[in-house]
Amino acid sequence: MIVLIGKLKKGEKGRILHISNTDLLVRRRLLDLGITEGSEVCLKCVMPFGGPVMVESCGQCIGIRRKEAIQIEVEKL
Amino acid sequence: MDIALIGNPNTGKTSLFNNLTGSYEYVGNWSGVTVEKKIGIFKNNKDRLIDLPGIYTLNPLSKDEGVVTQFLLTEKVDKMLNILDASQIERNLYLTIQLLEYGKPTIIGLNMMDVASKRGIHVDPVKLSQTLGIPVAPVVARTGKGCTDLAATITEGGIPTPNASLVHYGTEIEEAIGKLAELLEGKQNYSVRWLALQLFEGNQYVKQYLYSVIGEERLNLFLQQIKNTINTNYQTSLELFIFQKRKAKIDWIIADSAIKRNLTKTPLSEKIDAIVTNKILGLPIFFLLMYLMFMLTFDWLGFPLSDYLDRLITGPIASGIESLLSYVGASDFIHALILDGIVAGVGGVLVFVPQIFILFFFISLLEDSGYMARVALVMDRLMEAVGLNGKAFIPMMIGFGCNVPGIMAARTIETPKERLLTILLTPLMSCSARLPIYALFVGAFFVQQKALIVLSIYVLGIAVALILAKVFSTTILKGETSLFVIELPPYRLPQFRALWRSTWDKGKGFIKKAGTFIFAGSVFIWLLSYAGPSGMNVALDDSYLAVIGGFIAPLFEPIGFNSWQAGASLITGFLAKEAIISTMNIIYFVPDEASLQGLLSNYFTPLSAYSFMIFILLYIPCLATTATIYKETGSKRWTVFSIGYALIIAYILSFVIYQGGKLLGLV
Repeated sequence: MIVLIGKLKKGEKGRILHISNTDLLVRRRLLDLGITEGSEVCLKCVMPFGGPVMVESCGQCIGIRRKEAIQIEVEKL
Repeated sequence: MDIALIGNPNTGKTSLFNNLTGSYEYVGNWSGVTVEKKIGIFKNNKDRLIDLPGIYTLNPLSKDEGVVTQFLLTEKVDKMLNILDASQIERNLYLTIQLLEYGKPTIIGLNMMDVASKRGIHVDPVKLSQTLGIPVAPVVARTGKGCTDLAATITEGGIPTPNASLVHYGTEIEEAIGKLAELLEGKQNYSVRWLALQLFEGNQYVKQYLYSVIGEERLNLFLQQIKNTINTNYQTSLELFIFQKRKAKIDWIIADSAIKRNLTKTPLSEKIDAIVTNKILGLPIFFLLMYLMFMLTFDWLGFPLSDYLDRLITGPIASGIESLLSYVGASDFIHALILDGIVAGVGGVLVFVPQIFILFFFISLLEDSGYMARVALVMDRLMEAVGLNGKAFIPMMIGFGCNVPGIMAARTIETPKERLLTILLTPLMSCSARLPIYALFVGAFFVQQKALIVLSIYVLGIAVALILAKVFSTTILKGETSLFVIELPPYRLPQFRALWRSTWDKGKGFIKKAGTFIFAGSVFIWLLSYAGPSGMNVALDDSYLAVIGGFIAPLFEPIGFNSWQAGASLITGFLAKEAIISTMNIIYFVPDEASLQGLLSNYFTPLSAYSFMIFILLYIPCLATTATIYKETGSKRWTVFSIGYALIIAYILSFVIYQGGKLLGLV
């Protein structure tokens, strides 16, 4: 099933299919951290009031904004 | 020999630096930028280790990261020490590949193998060394294990020049590298392969450098050609193509030298995060921690310690100096200068050393444990609402210790607009030099609610900063998207030794300032209070200080403190905030803090005291902060602006508080 990271539930995993809709700088920084198409991610927590989400990938935790997270398409695992 | 220490952020770089080097040769700033530059001397007393900012890739996004490329393009380096986090080996090797392309002898310090094995990753240093063709030394940077061997290998052994062509980028790119080599033939000395690949990746610093060598037009033409070729042949961008080639190589290296198992156990870090970054508990936990920090600093621990120190300085130390002066037969002038000027001025500031160290200790604890990054995550939503991002909260937190490093910490913010905004607003964070003033006034006027009143001042500073952020970002600093991607490093139990070193590094500046700046200032202020238009040893009300203070005092009538004493101390407060205390101690001519507090009630009411504290919180960045703002923004306009808006806001708020309080019947 294809969903957006921002729509995953806490603890759910997915593999990134499509990331090119996000802001260029955000994509660059995620790439620096080794997160790109094909990476496996797991949604760890969600901040209230539309705040950022914490995503885990290859053992590292990364915070990104909700509005970026709903631009990244993942295949639910 | 000069050895550069390079690695990803949060890999234990600072610990490794501290363990490898015996002493600092140089601590200062990189030329032109204010990122801290540290050069340490190896324990053999010969070779130098240069600490560089943590980066993920040589191609920079923020100015902070640009320092490394700039360094590689301008300064002489003999060898490179690359620290790797074994638990994040894939990501870390990406930088390693770029470093190998630079073509200098390189050695790897493989750190955090223990963390890695807990995650089910086992890296074999011997195999890794064979695959990469360079020495790999396992280390535990935190404890110093393996550092002696690492130091021996890097300073003594002849390290072979690495194979810069570890990654093969395909015929198109390899041919382009060859073409650039022809263009650059005999014109420069850096590795052409490295320059070419950095250029292809989009490294602006390298691009500028190449412009200067072969000219803009020729280079752009060359770059466009290779971009078009990759686009046509592979339907992907040049940058991504390079990334994929490197990634494939890294996967191959890892398959060859590391074993991965999937562990189902949740790491401790994630368990802690489930609580402290919890949707509901996250913010309350942060505020609770802040509350505990303030209570410990001001009430439970800091206050009794400062009180004890005050009694020590004003009691045995002052009387000791007094009897010493009488013994050597010092003149009345010297007597007064030393006791009323220096002891009162410098002593009055030193009394607050315990509280300032406690505060710095907690800031170091938050930084070292990894919680600071969570604060950025928890606060991002709020910061986004005012046109900033969560990362801007870190410089502000550091600003509670001292505004200068706070403003410097704003370099990690990637977008220029948010960085400028953070720089402009960090001075509103109540730094530790302002703390003695509050401590003095709450001791005199708000004995029952000490910590609460001080906390209210800190919170007010944050509130004003957030409101102004919103105002500025919707008016004078419009536009530009905001970027927020933050790495949340695993929690680490801070080691006491490292914590102490970091607290001391931060706090010693305060003591040094008391011995130099405040010392000189105290002498000067005392002289101004000793001399007057009518001669020497005049009554205080006829002194030059009274004349100067009295000149601006009427301005402060509407906000509650029309006395020349307040006016004079506010002027000296621009030099350093704690000078306000020194000035008051000298002016009010009292032996200790307790009697100064008693005397203050003749000049202030609780309401005007609160108004005075708010004014001091906001009214002007101190001299050192102003200089840093100028260096960081590189703009006289913004520097003047930062002073101007602060004065206006401070006046308005104090006015509202004082006049509003009077209307409500508070005195």
